[in-house]
Amino acid sequence: MSRVAPAVTAVDLVRTFQPRKQPLVTALDAVNLSVDQGEVHGLLGPNGAGKTTLVKILTTVLLPTSGRAEICGHDVVRDAKAVRPMIGIVFGGERGLYTRLTARQNLEYWASLYRLPGSQIKPRAAGLLERVGLAEKADARVETYSRGMKQRLHLARGLIAGAKVLFLDEPTAGMDPLAAREFRNLITEIRSEGTTILLATHDMVEAEVLCDRVTLIDRGRILATESPRSLGRLVSRFQRIDVDGADRELLDRVAALPGVESIAPGTEGHRIHVDGDEHVSIVLKVIVEGGVVGVRTSRPSLEEVYVGLIGDRGLQV
Amino acid sequence: MRGFRAGFRLQLSFFRNYPDMLIPLLTAPLFTIIFSMVLRHGGRSDLSGYAVIAPFYMSLWWFAIFNGGWVIQTERWEGTIDYLVAAPTGFASVIVGRISTMMFAGAFAFVEVWLFGRYVLHATVTIHHPYVFGASLLLTLFAMTTTSLFMANLFVLSRSAVTFSNSASYPIYLLGGILVPIALLPGWLQPVTNIVFLSWSARLLRGSLGATPIANAGFDLAMVFVLGLAALILASALLTRILRRAQQTGELALR
Amino acid sequence: MTTLRIMRYALLSGAYDYGSIYTWRSWLGGWFLRVLAQVSFFALIGRLLGAEQQTWFLLVGNAVMLAAMEGVWALNMVSWERSAGTLPLLAASPTSPVLVLASRGVYLIADGSISALGALFVLGPLFGLPLPWPRVLLVIPLTILVGASAYCLGTFLGGIVLGYRGVNSLVANVGLVAVMTLCGINVPLAAYPGPIAWISQCLPVTHGLIAVRDVLSGNLAAAGVQALIEAAVAVCWLGICLLTFRWFVYRGRRSGSLEYAT
Repeated sequence: MSRVAPAVTAVDLVRTFQPRKQPLVTALDAVNLSVDQGEVHGLLGPNGAGKTTLVKILTTVLLPTSGRAEICGHDVVRDAKAVRPMIGIVFGGERGLYTRLTARQNLEYWASLYRLPGSQIKPRAAGLLERVGLAEKADARVETYSRGMKQRLHLARGLIAGAKVLFLDEPTAGMDPLAAREFRNLITEIRSEGTTILLATHDMVEAEVLCDRVTLIDRGRILATESPRSLGRLVSRFQRIDVDGADRELLDRVAALPGVESIAPGTEGHRIHVDGDEHVSIVLKVIVEGGVVGVRTSRPSLEEVYVGLIGDRGLQV
Repeated sequence: MRGFRAGFRLQLSFFRNYPDMLIPLLTAPLFTIIFSMVLRHGGRSDLSGYAVIAPFYMSLWWFAIFNGGWVIQTERWEGTIDYLVAAPTGFASVIVGRISTMMFAGAFAFVEVWLFGRYVLHATVTIHHPYVFGASLLLTLFAMTTTSLFMANLFVLSRSAVTFSNSASYPIYLLGGILVPIALLPGWLQPVTNIVFLSWSARLLRGSLGATPIANAGFDLAMVFVLGLAALILASALLTRILRRAQQTGELALR
Repeated sequence: MTTLRIMRYALLSGAYDYGSIYTWRSWLGGWFLRVLAQVSFFALIGRLLGAEQQTWFLLVGNAVMLAAMEGVWALNMVSWERSAGTLPLLAASPTSPVLVLASRGVYLIADGSISALGALFVLGPLFGLPLPWPRVLLVIPLTILVGASAYCLGTFLGGIVLGYRGVNSLVANVGLVAVMTLCGINVPLAAYPGPIAWISQCLPVTHGLIAVRDVLSGNLAAAGVQALIEAAVAVCWLGICLLTFRWFVYRGRRSGSLEYAT
């Protein structure tokens, strides 16, 4: 319970769209969200879940149909002027940059729009280009950039004014694993500087690695908000212990222990479900004393949570 | 003010990086040659000033459409418009800044055709009435800029923007009397020419090149100003409407 | 036969694309109106000069020019393929890219000819231009010839532009106005200085336009000769185009500029 206002709050946020000659689309359905100062908060959901819509409302680009949202205590609708200097936006993707201009020209332009004092514009742009690793290609036209480079330029632009709250919408989409990892390192650096980060993504690994808490959203509704580790509890309250090469006798002994819910054959050995952290250590002791060497404990991964809660829709939207 | 300056400088960068911006500068001398040849072949070299004035307006119109009119739409296509709306400086001031570069482009275009006409084609382009000329040129650049701003908004709202861009040029040249004075147009078109500020402007610029005093210069200048101002008022009204609609419907970001 | 089939498909796809830009109404109310304004704009200079002959000269020249204008725009066909990302695919396909690109834009010849003839037959009477029947009908094939001839030039320019990025609009517009300047559209060839007149003779449109003027003035034999020369010029440009296109595509593939959108 901190006395500082949360960085981001959304209260009963609703957003509907009325496309021509089609039924009303509800993109956000009474969304409630709270992000603390300095937190890295993930917004996890499939395509079409409403993540981008939510980010657009929080960044004053779109008006909500009803409900309220605040950034650092300022209402995004009524006090948009106060909100805008505080936020940085990274929508990412191929669009959103002036492709015939150089990276440097792009950044300096946005720096001036964010009211950076004239003398600071050039050094700040140069500094950010250095930071995101684009210093060498700073004076090449953006149209010659690879996808990963464009994403990094988007990030640099998001950071141009030293935002208090940074909004990232699918920032590593389309990046190769190496580039994505470097990008995540950058995010971690930024986070350590005290910036609050709201990260919208459908990449589970990213959410798990970067976020303090994750909000699951699907079809405009919030399903849950937890830390990535505790999200596992939503699917199963059981801890899992995977053992390799345990013989029948050992397994029978383990099955008799308190808290052991079930033992099932796994891909390479057996999977033991244990109810309650307090029983896990006893089970582990017995297994290890039984001479088994291959042991792993795990909670359901975010992927299993995702599929479990949101459902296995395959390619359907 | 910051937004205005940022937009202005951005557009100047575009001038450097987009070769299309050069088009009027390359075609204007060619048009000057065409008109000059026709007038000379017809035995009226004394009208060679007309051959210089007309291409200036043609360049100006080109800038108005492509340097100005398409500004907001291209922001939409590039995907930068959401960022612009979310930026602290006003959206409007950036757009106005970008379009105002037209005043420089237009002045440059005039200097170009004048120098070309004078020194390459030896046309009679002495400016006999410098004050009227100066005022006309400035007011023309002002009116063209505000008209361009109006078009920038119109192109967002109208689905016929492409057709208009391709098709409005010569009709406007005709109604503006940029080469052939409107007096030579059929009678039923005359009233329409009154709302095209080019017709007042062209009469003034042509008059400035002639030795005889210009009748009703004050009135003509006022008309250019009034029509330019009208375009500005319409433009502001449309812009607020566009922005409001954008934030409510989210349509602005779609191509 | 396969070649013909490919050309037919290309033609239809080009026409379909065009149909998505203009409807009948927007073509008439937008494009055709502009076209009429354009021809009138030049023709009226004759009125300014107080010379009826010159008014008619300008009218005929600028009307036929419309067919040439759309022909030169063939160069955009090439660039549109590039920005649609299909040019590399085309270059990699077994069919000659020239064939497909040329066929895609053939509707331009049709559209240009219709614009030109429409302007001539609508504005001619308005300006009092005598259009002697039935020989005036000969103007129709001549106009199509001019359009086709300009089209060959346009495709050639399209190939040149392949090596560079972002210049196709520039080359199209400047090319167009250059044709307006050099091809005897607004003044007779005799008014050009010697070397310029030579260049005019080698460009498309020049002879075709003289042929049209000859038809209108009753000199059919001369018109025939000029028409043949125009056809020869067109074939030469087409030949240059076919010969050089392969090299342009090769150069584009080597420099990587085939892929960039304009």
